[in-house]
Amino acid sequence: MRVLELEVNGDQVEVGAPDHWTLLEVLRYRLGLYGSKQGCDKGDCGACTVLLDGEPVIACLTLAALCEGRRITTIEGLAPAHVRAGGRGPDPVQDAFDRCGALQCGFCQPGMMLSAWALLADNPTPTRGEINAALSGNLCRCTGYTQIVEAVELAIAEATGATPARPHWAKHESTPPKPASVDGREASR
Amino acid sequence: MLLPATLEEAVTALDKESTEPANEQKTRILAGGQDLLPELKDHLAEPETVVNVKGVAELGTDVRRSGDGFEIGALATIAALARNADVPAVLSEAAASIASPQVRTLATVAGNLCQRPRCWYYRSEHTVCLKKGGDECFAYAGLNKYNAILGGGPSYIVHPSDLAPALVALDAEVVTDRRTIAIGDFFTLPSESDPTRENVLGPDEIIREVAFTVAPGWRSVYVKFKERESFDFALSAVALALRLDGDEIAEARLVLGGVAPTPWRCRSTEELLRGRKIDDALAHEAGEDALGGAEPLEFNGYKIPLTKALIAKALRKLS
Amino acid sequence: MSVQSGPQWKARSEMKVLNTDVPRVDGPAKVSGRAKYAHDIRLPGMLHARLLLCPHPAADVELLNVEPAKRIAGVVTAAELADRPDRTIFLGQPLAVVAAETPEAAEDGLRAIEVRYREGGWAVTPEQAAAEDAPRISRRQPNALTERETGNQGRTERALEGADATIDETYVVPVQHHCCLETHGMVVDFDGERARVWPSTQAVTGSRGEVAQALGIPADRVEIVCDYMGGGFGSKFSIGPEGLAACQLATELRRPIHLMLTRTDEFLMGGNRSGGRQRMRAGASLDGKLVALDAEVWRHGGIGRGSNPGQPYIYKAETDSMRIGSVRTNTDANRAMRAPGHPQASFAIESAMDELAYAIGMDPLDFRMRNLEDPVYHRQLNRVADEIGWYDHPNRETPGIPTGGTNVGIGFGVSTWGGGGRRVCVVTVRIDPDGSVTSSAGSQDLGTGVRTYVGSIVAEELGLAVSQVTGRVGHSEYGPANASGGSTTTASLAPAVKDAAHNARVAFSERLAEWLECGPGDVVFANGEVRSGTNERMKLTWSEACSILGSDPIVATGEWQSHLQTSGIHGAQAVKVEVDTETGGLRLVKMVCIQDCGLPLNRMALRSQINGGMIEAIGYGLFEERIIDPWLGVALNANFDDYKLPGSTEMPELVAIIDDDDERQQVIGMAEATIIPGQSAIANAVANACGVRIRSLPLTADKVLMGIQEKA
Repeated sequence: MRVLELEVNGDQVEVGAPDHWTLLEVLRYRLGLYGSKQGCDKGDCGACTVLLDGEPVIACLTLAALCEGRRITTIEGLAPAHVRAGGRGPDPVQDAFDRCGALQCGFCQPGMMLSAWALLADNPTPTRGEINAALSGNLCRCTGYTQIVEAVELAIAEATGATPARPHWAKHESTPPKPASVDGREASR
Repeated sequence: MLLPATLEEAVTALDKESTEPANEQKTRILAGGQDLLPELKDHLAEPETVVNVKGVAELGTDVRRSGDGFEIGALATIAALARNADVPAVLSEAAASIASPQVRTLATVAGNLCQRPRCWYYRSEHTVCLKKGGDECFAYAGLNKYNAILGGGPSYIVHPSDLAPALVALDAEVVTDRRTIAIGDFFTLPSESDPTRENVLGPDEIIREVAFTVAPGWRSVYVKFKERESFDFALSAVALALRLDGDEIAEARLVLGGVAPTPWRCRSTEELLRGRKIDDALAHEAGEDALGGAEPLEFNGYKIPLTKALIAKALRKLS
Repeated sequence: MSVQSGPQWKARSEMKVLNTDVPRVDGPAKVSGRAKYAHDIRLPGMLHARLLLCPHPAADVELLNVEPAKRIAGVVTAAELADRPDRTIFLGQPLAVVAAETPEAAEDGLRAIEVRYREGGWAVTPEQAAAEDAPRISRRQPNALTERETGNQGRTERALEGADATIDETYVVPVQHHCCLETHGMVVDFDGERARVWPSTQAVTGSRGEVAQALGIPADRVEIVCDYMGGGFGSKFSIGPEGLAACQLATELRRPIHLMLTRTDEFLMGGNRSGGRQRMRAGASLDGKLVALDAEVWRHGGIGRGSNPGQPYIYKAETDSMRIGSVRTNTDANRAMRAPGHPQASFAIESAMDELAYAIGMDPLDFRMRNLEDPVYHRQLNRVADEIGWYDHPNRETPGIPTGGTNVGIGFGVSTWGGGGRRVCVVTVRIDPDGSVTSSAGSQDLGTGVRTYVGSIVAEELGLAVSQVTGRVGHSEYGPANASGGSTTTASLAPAVKDAAHNARVAFSERLAEWLECGPGDVVFANGEVRSGTNERMKLTWSEACSILGSDPIVATGEWQSHLQTSGIHGAQAVKVEVDTETGGLRLVKMVCIQDCGLPLNRMALRSQINGGMIEAIGYGLFEERIIDPWLGVALNANFDDYKLPGSTEMPELVAIIDDDDERQQVIGMAEATIIPGQSAIANAVANACGVRIRSLPLTADKVLMGIQEKA
């Protein structure tokens, strides 16, 4: 057992964990942060992706002991960080995923959004190819990735003030019905 | 888990008397952990002690220009190498092709060179194959689509590293705590030494850095073919470095990945390329020569035309 | 419309909520990480459990001693499963279970169990199982058994002889896995009297009965909670051996048990889509008619029967005959998987149709239409052909030949499904005096958007915004509901929601009529207001209207109404692929799917389902295949490293088209159909590009390259 000092979502935490524990075990079994999902526990699915000093890592392949003194961001930390940085409303990436319907079962989404978040922090205007490459370590079995990529592109467009590109399927929506709004969360078309 | 602060402490912590198959060593080095953790989780490795070298002062994390070349610290991450615009293209391209962005964040250069094979018989908890100290390479007469066509026997693994062929093409040196090894001598064929190991490192030896010089006029490229573009190992890969004199090849280094138990240097093909202009005929000849000695198993014959095609692509990219 | 006339869907032009893009109501919970799945449940005193699986395809269990496990620190108990056999019959069959304070202690316990197997004879491939000296897998029947014969084979033979062109080819499909990102399992909290259970399930109502039986208590003492679940695709109808094991431990220990399969367990015992082999002997006339088809269909469902709806599937042959059967092996039983049997049938018939078309030199799109009777397919095929660029494509009647560079090809396929519902759901809509509205159904949301339409149908009925109605699902107390499978959820549930909403509106209208000085039939609910249809000035805000209820809320229930739903859907898909003829590498450029579904409830969710169907077909087409070593009987790719799912970089441009030419004003489930023809279209596109016909999925580069080499 080792006492680790970590910065998790902006808070300094001290946590006791066995030497061989992964960061994912610390998050899910010590800190009550269940947003990082355990999909395979072998580094292959990306559902447990978190940010370590801003860089995406797979929490199930990250030894907790390697994180001593380092800054960890989980899905639970994105919205508070946005507010601390003076932002209003939800985190723009999370908001874009919601409005684009970039999720079905939702199990892969926390990791997917953190990969997207890390990309945009590093490169605010990536190409579609760069978006796909940045998300290539995150498996999704439900959505077909299309609405996920659209969500990232919406977040980029809103951050840069650009008009989001019209999705390629939109021309088949022959009489575009007005999107319904849920709590002001209007669907992105 | 031990957290040594110096190289000497780290070396001392490792079991230098180890004679077990590599995966059963009682002490194992942990850097990024991207290969060791899955091995631990699959119970392929069950070391008594893990020596975490993250805190070892002598192990660098930089990709540093040094004189007419580069020195890359053992703990430099694959992500850092992939982002580096100064290193030869073959190396940054190889780095960028590795695994996933998340893995690249933590995976290290030394760890990439020392990673264990991906052969599914090796990775299965329910086989004791030659790689794990058993008697038989199950791939030889088994499902060997992903296995070696060159240099195989008695083990038919392919070396999984992408950096390895790139570094061989750069004629790099591996610097350990005790010696400097030409990278061409670093990897070992299963027929030539302990088939449970893939390189000459002693059980208590630690890589400090990888270094190479870059002479003027060299250009290079890494062409990797994966079954799936997202997060996959090479079915075959080509690392090619050329020094062109006008449109003639003055010198060449051609190394194959994903087809042999080591990065596979094609010296006769390098000779064949010398003094020639790059065209379709040369690309064809080079492929024929490089794969001339290939001995495919039942399900991996496709790697021969595939690798020939990749050699042609690599030559075209540098023409 | 009079409120007394019974529930009717509004005209699409009048809809404010339905048939639009409605963001998921649980989107914020999911994107924030707040949504809790079974995996995430933590209870005081909870133990983590793991299963011991047999590593051999079949073995006599000579010794199984769990006592050493109990001596491992942190292990609380270890037990043989109540129904564990003396002889196992499939690779991965569970035998024992360990409960411990932490997941790792449970695993250590598992590894401490003393177990000795005597490997028996086994067969893991259909070829091994069908061999003469193969060990019998089922006592009741031979390993390979023809179960059904249709048509007159003699007549088909004669028709084949008279055909202008014939093919005789065998098409092979692999075993595919569901690959739900959340594995199977549940958390059980049982105090000896009552139980609260969090399963990852497609069947809240069904789980309640299963758990009650396993715990030996009446069903009304079992509460099932499944707010969120991480994917099912047909594999999570039953609580399974893992659920039974959790209940066994909970009964013994009276402590909460958390038992979720590991990813490897999931591959070995969590179900699969059956593989199979289909020999197709087919003949065509030069004018483009499928004159004869004789099919020999073998399903490979492990110890299960496998599935396949039979041939000629959607197409019409002038003469056809078929023998269909199954081959059993010592592998996990197949389960329902998105459109059970249909993708398998599709691959064989769509490949055969293409081969025949080229054999008579006809455009394969034309050939399809000549042999599809339903005009909906003609319309849909034209639409996807137009979108994919077929009419500008050079290789329309003859496939390309390998150029040494990149070849481009296009392929097609069609799909069908039922998608109808049945009477089972009872939905409750409640309007409270404070203005809140809830709509509750004991169904479950697999990520399809059920929770959203359980609220939005009511919002549409009452003229409210979606956010004013709380849709509640995933709880056994919310009333009976069917399992979510076979695309039956929407057509079973949505009519009951509509009925409940209608009944609530009628009841509310009766209470409000006096206040609005009109008849109950003249009360209008629109734009968040309630007004008189006869006097514009008589109107109430929603909160004013609700406050009139005093202490007496409106509670209305609804049941299935047959006329609000129907069944029978159609789809067509087209794929454009680039083949690197040097390497055999495929790059999907574009994939188009048009799907009808009657009345669309939520267009955004529909497009997502269509995209999801396409990507699962891409996985089936390009990568996915369970691999078991046939000589060692060892599973070789029971992980996401070697069992390859498509990732973001494999995604082509996906174009999801909701077929708005379908004007049926009834709801139909549609998600199954969207996975059916994609892999067939990919195989056809590869053949169209370079003339290489791959007759066994997946279409990996090695097969394509060797095909190209053979041609050269």
